[in-house]
Order: sequence, then structure tokens, then C-alpha cells
Amino acid sequence: MFALVGRSIESLYQVARGLKTVFKHTVRPPITKNFPDDMPDLPGHFRGRLALAVNPQTSEHLCISCLQCERVCPDKCIQITSHKSPETNKPELIEFKIDHGLCMFCGLCTEVCPTSCIINTNDFEMADYTRESLVYDLKRLTLSQDESAHYFAKKELPMPKPKPPKPAAKPAAPAAAAKPAEDKPEAKPEVKAEAKPQDLPAAPAPESPKKEEQ
Amino acid sequence: MTSSAVPYNLNEIGKFFLLSGVWLGIIFGAVWAACWAVGMLVPQLILNAYPNDPCALNVANAIRLLTPLVGVMVFIPINAMYMVLAERRGLALFTVRKGPNRVGPDGFLQTAADAVKLLFKENINPHGGDVLMFTLAPIIFFAPSVFGAIPLLAAVTSNHDLFKIVNLPTGIFYVLAMSSIPVVGIVMGGWASNNKYSLVGGLRSAAQAISYEIPLVLAIITTCFLVGSLDVVNIAQMQKGTDNLASFGFLNWNFFGAGAIPHYLDLLMQGKLEGAQVVTSAFWSLALAFCCILLCGIYLTGACAEINRIPFDLPEAESELVSGYNTEYSGIRFAIFFLAEFTNLFIVSTVAVVMWFGGGATPFPGFLDANTFASIATPFNQALAQAGLPPLMDGQTMSGAFWAIFKTYALVYFAILVRGTLPRFRIDQLLDFGWKKLIPLSLILLLAVTYIRELV
Amino acid sequence: MGDLSELATLASKHMETWLFYLVALITVPFAFGVLLDRNIIRAGFLLIGVFGGISALFLLLQAQFLAMAQLMIYAVGITLVVVIALMLTNPRMEEDKSPSIPAQKAPAALVGTLLFIALYMAILSEGWGNNSEALSPDNITIIGYSLLTHYALPFEFASILLLIALVGAVMLAKHDHFNSKADIDEIEEETKEISERNEHVVKV
Repeated sequence: MFALVGRSIESLYQVARGLKTVFKHTVRPPITKNFPDDMPDLPGHFRGRLALAVNPQTSEHLCISCLQCERVCPDKCIQITSHKSPETNKPELIEFKIDHGLCMFCGLCTEVCPTSCIINTNDFEMADYTRESLVYDLKRLTLSQDESAHYFAKKELPMPKPKPPKPAAKPAAPAAAAKPAEDKPEAKPEVKAEAKPQDLPAAPAPESPKKEEQ
Repeated sequence: MTSSAVPYNLNEIGKFFLLSGVWLGIIFGAVWAACWAVGMLVPQLILNAYPNDPCALNVANAIRLLTPLVGVMVFIPINAMYMVLAERRGLALFTVRKGPNRVGPDGFLQTAADAVKLLFKENINPHGGDVLMFTLAPIIFFAPSVFGAIPLLAAVTSNHDLFKIVNLPTGIFYVLAMSSIPVVGIVMGGWASNNKYSLVGGLRSAAQAISYEIPLVLAIITTCFLVGSLDVVNIAQMQKGTDNLASFGFLNWNFFGAGAIPHYLDLLMQGKLEGAQVVTSAFWSLALAFCCILLCGIYLTGACAEINRIPFDLPEAESELVSGYNTEYSGIRFAIFFLAEFTNLFIVSTVAVVMWFGGGATPFPGFLDANTFASIATPFNQALAQAGLPPLMDGQTMSGAFWAIFKTYALVYFAILVRGTLPRFRIDQLLDFGWKKLIPLSLILLLAVTYIRELV
Repeated sequence: MGDLSELATLASKHMETWLFYLVALITVPFAFGVLLDRNIIRAGFLLIGVFGGISALFLLLQAQFLAMAQLMIYAVGITLVVVIALMLTNPRMEEDKSPSIPAQKAPAALVGTLLFIALYMAILSEGWGNNSEALSPDNITIIGYSLLTHYALPFEFASILLLIALVGAVMLAKHDHFNSKADIDEIEEETKEISERNEHVVKV
């Protein structure tokens, strides 16, 4: 009987303590954010939408078509089309497709990429109306120079070495960087075609050049 | 939890109070206007149009009789909308969130939008269910809360002329009888849904309601013993404090032993107690006050179980039973269930206010009492009198209504706090707690109060 | 307007009678529903309607307290228990399609008729309302007073009856196989066996 009374008093005290604790939370500022208005401050290693970076300094496309990401991908959602450049005998990127409907954002591709070209951005708002539009092509995947610089800084990636200057192409590239991001992927193939011959010594690709075409 | 590191969250708290103020203004402005129109304006217009006609007099009186019903009907939907919003915002405060804040200015219209959405959704009849009973169940759940609330109107408006007729001599017993009916609706809905989860929810609800109704009724009956009346207006007015010490303000409430403590203090101050009497009398007064606080606690616990609030929301335990008895409900029938649930919470709080917290009495004599409100009301009434219209309000009623509302919502917020804190019971713990702890305790209190009442 | 007011006075004079017929019109179909509905749980819910109607009749007779008690105890408490018991006995909740046995019909009709005649005669013979108290809205006091003075003995007997029912329910709910000596021996043997087995397991 007395034990019961003691237990009742004890439990009442505990309930009161719980109520007090919860009530004290009233004065705390809310930790939620008004999402579409305030974007969350995501850490650099957040694995969002995949994208292809360009050289933050020179705006050259960093992909060297080594196909490592395509091979490592567990979902087989990456599809690279490349051909051997007749001038340099090096593989050259034609098309790069990632099916984000299939991707599980494991980040393996970003780990194997020798040039830190393919990266996980902090973008996570990818909802779309069709499955086809979740397949991103080279144009939609390639980041602008500013964006690339932002992610290189945020992820603390080592800066890729600038390619040896080719007098005709190089001065044009920084000027192109100021243009809006949409123009970039179109500009890229020509820039790269010109840059390729000089690319040979700079590129740290350990892989032997790929010959086949997808 | 270091207190120094906590930056104050005045912004969100301020928004919450603003929201409450605006919504309460809307609710009681609307209810007051409706009651005034039906109870005073329309009868007066009829009498002016047909003077000296006995039939017009009858019609005017009949319309006047409808006032309480109209008041409740206007009150319930708006109040439920506000309470849902207040609950969501209040819970957000307790759980360090923001709550709904997109619809309308800062989320003020969220529940209005929800209500409109629910009204336009399709009514789906479950396959193999009993359609008639399925439709009837929300109505049986909802209707008693409309009719059960009516006698309380007389209590909270200090027995205003318009609400006098609903003041039954069996007042509180009527409220209790009405508040026991909704369980039938839940069991019926659970059975008619032809769904295992609904059925289990309904059965649980019945078991729970039958178990917890006994301590609840015993707690109220014991308080009625103490006061010697079943009449809600009588009970509320007996607790009205004065500025004498013998019945000082809030100390005169039933919560503090129905006036035992101020009575003792008064005797002590006048030097009428001598020797050992000082101690024994103090002991019995305090014992009575303690019993009353326990009774109030039992009532609040039982009421929580009756209306299926968390921690007793087993009939709709969403982690076990999807949504319990209302799993199969959609559209307007679900809206009625939802409406009734929150109305029941309000009614239960009002009963507690009337029974233990002094009804419409001010806690401190002279603080926002009838005189203060009369000075506010006079200019309005004069302006209306010049336009040839009946007076809008009087100080007595306003003061009563204000304090009753204030206390009721204080209890509602307490229920929200409890919801934010306590986890759900398990069904066997729930029945165990009801039958083995609360019922014996309330029986012991019934005996104790009967004896202590004579000793004080 | 004159006709209307006449009608109003006429209506108010016979108000109680009209209301009685209205309540009867609602209650009697409910009662037939309880008897005739093949779905036994729906019949249980219809019983609530019958009790509600009876409590409305009490209200018409100015017996507010009885009306509320009827509503609270019979219409909700007892009927709900009945409905739950029905749900537990018939888990599939299908309509009872078993054909009624003709051999039971004649005795049932006989008993029913006899019961009806007995009730009818009882109602006719009793001098109803001769010694009733004056009608007053405050009849709770009168009820309480007469329960504890004039009707104290039946009241106490009713309490004892309820107590017996309560104790009986507790006895039923307890496991009764502990009562007989043989059962206790059996259980002791079982526990011994189990403990031996457990010891064996521990040794292994």
C-alpha cells in the first residue's frame, strides 16, 4: 500500500518533470527552415545530383572518357559515348548520359574519377514529370565555370592543373566563363577539340586510352 | 539544456498568441453576433412589425428559445478549426518546429483550407460494409457533443436570460449522459467499416470508455456531494469569490476544497479557533483541498481517455491500427469525426472549469470583473440604443464568458502539452490503470470527502 | 394569424400526447427491428435506439433524472457490453442463416403469449400514479429521499445483487482449475517435471 503511494508520487513527479522539459522547449527557436525560401546549408560531401565539372580556372571540360565511372556504377546508369580523336589518338567525349531515375547516389563514380570531373552536387530537387526527363545528357550535366569553382572549393578538391596554353584557344576561354551556364556545354566540344593535343602530358589518366565506342 | 545558451523564441511565441487572439476574436465575435441577432434583434423586429399580436409574441419567443442551439451551432465548426490550428502550432512550439505557416498570413487559414478540402472529397463506402450504420456513426458521434454542450452555456454566461432555459436541474448529469453516447458512434463506425483495424479500434474504444467513465463520473459526483447540487449554474456561482477573506477569489474554487481553506483562514484571523483546533482544522481543510485536487486529476485523466486524446488514443493508434475506427472514413464523414473530437475536448475542458475552476468567476476579486466589462460595453449599448436596437452585451455576461473561455483554453493548452509529452499507453496497461488504480482511488476519495466534509 | 394562434394553443394543450405518439412512432419500429433483424449486431445497435426512446418517454413524464440514467446506463453502458459480447462470440459477423427449428416455435409462441398476458394484467391491475409525488423539476431530491427511506430495503437488496454479480464475474474470470485437489497435484507434478527438465538442460 505504501509502496503504491510512493510509486504514484514518484510517477507523478516524473510526469511533471517531462511536462516541464517539453514546456521549456517552447522558448527555443525552431530548428526547421522554411525550405523553398531558405535552402538548407548542406555539407560538401552531400551526395546530390551528379554533374560534370569543368576546370574552374580554364573552363575546359575535365572528362577524359576513361569510362571508369561507367564500369564502377552498380546501377549501370551512366552511358558514355566517345570516339578516338583522329588527330591525337586519344579518346574524345561525344555524349555522356546519366539516368537519375536509376541512380542510387552511392557516389562510387565520383570516387574513381581520376580528374574529379564527375561530382555529386548539393542539388536534390530533381522531381520531374516524366522518366525520360530524368535522363540527363551532356548539356544538362555540365556545370558552369562558377559552379565548378564553387564545388571544387566546397569539396576541397585539388585544383586540376591548367592545360599548357595554346595561344588561340586559351584567351577565349576565360572570357567564355563570364557567359551564362547554358552556353557552356555547346562551346565545349570545339574548345576541347583544340585543346586535346596539348592535353596529353597534363592529363594524369593512368588508364590506357579506350578504343571502343559505346 | 543550459539555460544561458537558450536564445528566446519570442517571435514564434508572439505569432502563436497573435493567431490565438485573432481566431478567438473571430469565434466569439461570430457567436456573440449570432446569439444577439437570434435572441434579441429578430424577436424585437417581429414585435415591432406586429405589435399587440399574440401570435407574433409566440413566434418571437420560439425564436428566442433557439438562441442556445444557434450559438452552439455557430461555435462548433469555427472553434474546431481554431483548435486544430492551435494544436498544430502549439505542438510545433513544444517540439522546436514552426508548424503550418503557408496558407494565408502565417498559416492562419490552414485549417479553413483543410476543412474546405475535406468537404469536397469523395465519400467512399467500404466494400461489404453496412452503409446505413456507416453513415449514421459520425452523426451519433457528433450530435451529443452539440446537445451536451448546451447546459454549460448557462453556466459560463452567468445564467444570462437567453440561456436560462437550458439550465436543467440535472445539469451536470445531463452533460455526463450526453458525453457517454459518442462511444456508440465509434463502435458502430468501427463495426460498419468491415475492416479489422476499424473493428479493433471500435472495441478498444468501447472497453476504454466503459472503464474510464466510472472514475470520471465518480469524481464529478463526489464534487457534487461537496457542493450539494447537480445544477451547473449553481455549482459555478457557489465558487464565485468575493474580496472577503471567507471566500477569497480563486481560493473559493472547488479545486481548493470548495472554500474550506479561505473559511479556515477567516476563522483563524478572527481568532475563533483555539488550542488544538488551529492544527486539526488546518489539517482537515488541507486534506479536503488535497482530495479535491486529486478528484480534478482523476477527472482530467478519465476525460482524456473518454475523448481518446493522447496518451489514451488507443482507438486510433496509428502505429498499430492505421487510424483505428476512422480508417475507412473519408470526406465529410471524416470531417464530422474530426470536428466532434475537438469539440469534445472543448466540452470536457468546460466541464472541468465549471466543476473545479470557478466557471466564469474572476480569480482575483476586482480584476477584469463585471464592472470593468460594463464600462467597455456601455458605449456600444448606448450607440445601439440610439439606433433603436437592443443592447449588445452586459458586463456580467461578458466577464463570465471571458473568464470561462480563458480558463477553458488554458486547460486545452494543457491537453496539448500533455499530448506533446506523454507516450501512448499499451491496452493492458490502460485497462489495468483504469480498473485497479483509478476506480479504487475515486471510491476512496468519495468516502474520504463525505467524512472530511463534516469535520471541516 | 388568428387561426394560427388557435392552432398553437390547441397544439400546446395536447403537446404531451403528440410528443408521446411521436416518440412511440420512432421507438416501436426500433423494437421490431431488434426482434426481426437477422444481423445480430445490428439488432444490438437498434436496442440503443429503443432505450433512447424509453428515456425520451421518461423525459415526457418529467423524470429527467431517470431519463439521463436510462440513457447513460442502459442505452450506452449495458448495450455496448452486449454488442461487444456479440462481436466476440461471432467473429465473422455474418448474418445468422441457420434455419429456425420448427419444434421450438410452438413453445416460444406459448411463452411469449403468456408473458404478454401477464404483463398486460399487471399493468391493468396496479393503481398507477395514485400515490405519486407532486411533479417538480427538482425531483432528484425526492428520488434520493425516498430511496433512502421508503425504499431503503429494495435499494439495499439491489446493491447486494450487484455485489453478488460482481463477485461472480471475478470468480468466473479466475482460473477455476486451481480449486480441486487433483488439479493442484497435477500442476505440482508438471512444475516438478519442468524444473527437472530445466536442471537437465542446465547440466548439459
